[in-house]
Amino acid sequence: MTLETWDGDDESAAGRFVPLYVLVNGRTAPRDSSLDLATQVVALPVDTRRLEPEYLEILRRCDGWISVAEIGAYLRMPLAITKVMVDVLIEQGYLEVGNPAQQKIIDRHVLDAVLAGLERL
Amino acid sequence: MDRTSVKIVVAGGFGTGKTTLVASVSEIPPLTTEELLTEASVGVDDTTGVEGKTTTTVALDFGRITISPDVVLYLFGTPGQDRFWFMWDELAQGAVGAIVLVDTRRLDSSFPAVDYFERRGIPFVTAVNRFFGECDYTEDEIRGALELDPKVPLVWCDARDRGSSKLALITLVRHAMARLPARA
Ligand SMILES: Nc1nc2c(ncn2[C@@H]2O[C@H](COP(=O)(O)OP(=O)(O)OP(=O)(O)O)[C@@H](O)[C@H]2O)c(=O)[nH]1
Ligand SMILES: [Mg+2]
Repeated sequence: MTLETWDGDDESAAGRFVPLYVLVNGRTAPRDSSLDLATQVVALPVDTRRLEPEYLEILRRCDGWISVAEIGAYLRMPLAITKVMVDVLIEQGYLEVGNPAQQKIIDRHVLDAVLAGLERL
Repeated sequence: MDRTSVKIVVAGGFGTGKTTLVASVSEIPPLTTEELLTEASVGVDDTTGVEGKTTTTVALDFGRITISPDVVLYLFGTPGQDRFWFMWDELAQGAVGAIVLVDTRRLDSSFPAVDYFERRGIPFVTAVNRFFGECDYTEDEIRGALELDPKVPLVWCDARDRGSSKLALITLVRHAMARLPARA
């Protein structure tokens, strides 16, 4: 795994903090831009012997559906890195991906379900 | 239904009870995830180069509520310092909406959050955290101070109380649903 970092924004005003772009396997952002920190993934039953340890560690967390944010929290990895690594695993067929939270108009059926679920709490 | 994630943002000024609200309704103790930031220190006398730049992290805490076998609701607290606006963009994108917590001792500290969601047309409700018992302001005074649109719901809450946090969430989801196009 190649993991290098660089500061992606040299033009900002002095003293301002900007996101740190992270280079993982030659990429700095998920290929699939809908990969949101709430998007859930689950491991597919495939041969994982060729995977590097860092990726295997992620896959081990994904034996049930789990969000990108949860993976990052449990493995103590920054979001920028988690997202790109999860994206690599999706692309290579190790992970199945659920519906992203990002939808222009949230489905009314989903909101109905959320409301009913909250009322049961 | 496919596996679906739903997001709600819990925003508000520094120390207004965001983490407390998430903790009171989440089925897991709130988790923390971190985003890497770097200081873009470009000055006139920029001889320090890359080594001079500092990296820091901004922490987000979040909780989850399993709604059904297919739907999970994630509650994300915004970082306390509101200078990290790009993190808010990431959190707000695709969210059902936001709960803006308000501390009556520092009403103005939640104004940037109100303004943020107002400008982007993201549904939000204000939840006034009373902290120490009675509040010195009336609802009208709070609405005035925060320049709230009359359509924005305002609820009184105690972020430590599960029932109270649940009510704030339900109020938000109803408000968001009321803004959807009529049922086909
Ligand atoms: N009395 C009372 N105390 C509260 C309430 N909500 C939060 N607190 C307390 O207020 C303090 C701040 O609450 P947090 O939940 O950490 O606030 P926060 O908005 O997450 O703070 P930052 O993330 O630092 O911006 C804690 O000590 C809480 O126990 C409330 O409704 N009533
Ligand atoms: Mg907090």
